[in-house]
Amino acid sequence: MDLLKQKILIVDDEKGLRLGTKRLLEKEGFDVVTAENGTEGIALGTSTEFDAAIIDMKMPDFDGILVLKEIIKKYPNTVCFIATAYASYDTAIEATRVGAFSYIPKPFSPDELLLQISKGLEKRELNLQKERWQKEREERLLEVAFEKTRLNTIINSISDGVLVINKNGEAVLYNPSALKFLALKNIKIEEYIIDKLPEKLAEQVKQFLNSSEYLKRSLTVQLQMKADNELFVEATTSPVPAPDGSLAGVAIVIKNITELKKIEFLKSQFVSMVSHELKAPIAAVYGFLKLISDKSMNLSPDKQNEFINRSIVRLDSLLKMVNDLLDISRMEMKTTQREIKELNILDIIKNIMDLFQLEIKKRNLNVNIKSSEINPLFKGDQDEITRLFTNFVSNGIKYNKQNGSLVINIEKNDDYLVTEIKDSGIGMRPLEKDKLFHEFYRVKNEFTKDISGTGLGLSIVKRIIDSYAGKIEVESEFGTGTTFRVFLPVVDNALKENKVTLNNIQSV
Amino acid sequence: MAKIAIIDDDPDILDASSLVLTSKGHEVITANNPDDGYKIVVDNSPDLIILDVMMNEPDDGFFLAQKFRKNNITTPIIMYTSISKTIGMDYGVNEMVPVDEYVEKPISPAQLIQKVEKLLHKHIER
Repeated sequence: MDLLKQKILIVDDEKGLRLGTKRLLEKEGFDVVTAENGTEGIALGTSTEFDAAIIDMKMPDFDGILVLKEIIKKYPNTVCFIATAYASYDTAIEATRVGAFSYIPKPFSPDELLLQISKGLEKRELNLQKERWQKEREERLLEVAFEKTRLNTIINSISDGVLVINKNGEAVLYNPSALKFLALKNIKIEEYIIDKLPEKLAEQVKQFLNSSEYLKRSLTVQLQMKADNELFVEATTSPVPAPDGSLAGVAIVIKNITELKKIEFLKSQFVSMVSHELKAPIAAVYGFLKLISDKSMNLSPDKQNEFINRSIVRLDSLLKMVNDLLDISRMEMKTTQREIKELNILDIIKNIMDLFQLEIKKRNLNVNIKSSEINPLFKGDQDEITRLFTNFVSNGIKYNKQNGSLVINIEKNDDYLVTEIKDSGIGMRPLEKDKLFHEFYRVKNEFTKDISGTGLGLSIVKRIIDSYAGKIEVESEFGTGTTFRVFLPVVDNALKENKVTLNNIQSV
Repeated sequence: MAKIAIIDDDPDILDASSLVLTSKGHEVITANNPDDGYKIVVDNSPDLIILDVMMNEPDDGFFLAQKFRKNNITTPIIMYTSISKTIGMDYGVNEMVPVDEYVEKPISPAQLIQKVEKLLHKHIER
């Protein structure tokens, strides 16, 4: 059978008519199959789908109407014609009632037959098209429904708040985050919601809804939803267009910006501290220079010299502070170039001690350095580790008493290389101890007023120790002394070493 | 000439300010922390107080000023500040902070003298 040709079944017990019709239709380009009785007609008509069937009304075994019914039951789109020599109004009605496309009175002319068939096939084509559209439409509806649930799931699962309001000010879509961020409770879909929104946001929404023209932009507002900076949100309202280009409503996206706000606050606090610390020496030097340059002050040369020297001291400390700040910034941005190698902590501390000999003698300090290991080794950057211990040694000397002691004890346990720096200095009060690692914090009392420093040393130390995954402990008693314990991890170092070796083996 | 108390924890500022004011014939007393500052004011009853806002803590100066006013010390106060207004810490003369004048560091001798004379003059008029 040619698949491209339209197929027609002829069921007729009259051989001449059967073959004549077949010839005629084949000439017209149809693929024609014939059956000489009802039984054969049903068998053929229900085994393959024919485009059309011409069925004789009166056959010895079965009625043509029955044959037609069976075929249509199986293939509803097969166009069936009833051919009858007894054409009457009643047969016509009966045939069409059971599903015939039309009836053809016998005898029929070729033109008559072809016209009927072409009409019938046209009808079939329309039916098939309709069926296809219907199927497509059903599929699309399913897809839309699926899409909608999927969209809802997505919207509900995002951490930003989403709230869609129609042009009447009613909530049409929202997710749990939106309710949480805007402190909305018991909201129903299609409920008027504008007056429940925070005032600033409500105003923003009204700008869109009350505008006579379509505003093609988004508006953003920051809202403090809870006191004490506990919840800050940023709401962005955007217009949603209707198909005709007018405003259908607005979509509001609400972001939690609490953490950002906190960082912003810390940053401005830090900037404010830095500015103050930098400005203090500038103010002092400025004052001295103004005094010296002011002829009306009549400063003696000695006084002028004194002020110049004091200015230099202040500028020195200013320079130190700026350098420390640059170091902190480098550490924060992780732009410091590290050269990690095995360091002997004992050697490092002895070297540092040499640098402080003069100060140690001046205070007549009793220095004692002990180590449980002959070579206490740690993998780190020489500059950083030296800086770390220099800070503690320098503090242990600066804040010590005349004839005091400074004891350094290095011990290694399973996890850490522990270096203890114990001084017999002025010590700290508990409150002072808590602030020790804050930037610019310096203990201020009658003992410390002549001790200089940037207030950044320990905050740098803390950053160095943190960067090696170490930790630090402080014990202090006011008037008696302070003990710092620096824990540098050895296990981590060993692990790293193993990894390197393993990698090397694998690559070989 | 007047008696002026300067309370500031920066010894350089204390010395420079003292020198400027003594050169104009004023008598100057100084303290470098809030406690001593309170004491010298009570003991010497100066005509004017110059007070640094930030000593041990960022608002030591404010608290000391409030303490003066609470204890009926109405001596005019010039507050030294070194924190720029541009970074959000905006100080102004108001009820909360009972001072008469703000001066942002650094200050030149001429400015200091001018502010001091203005406030002393105003005080005498009152």
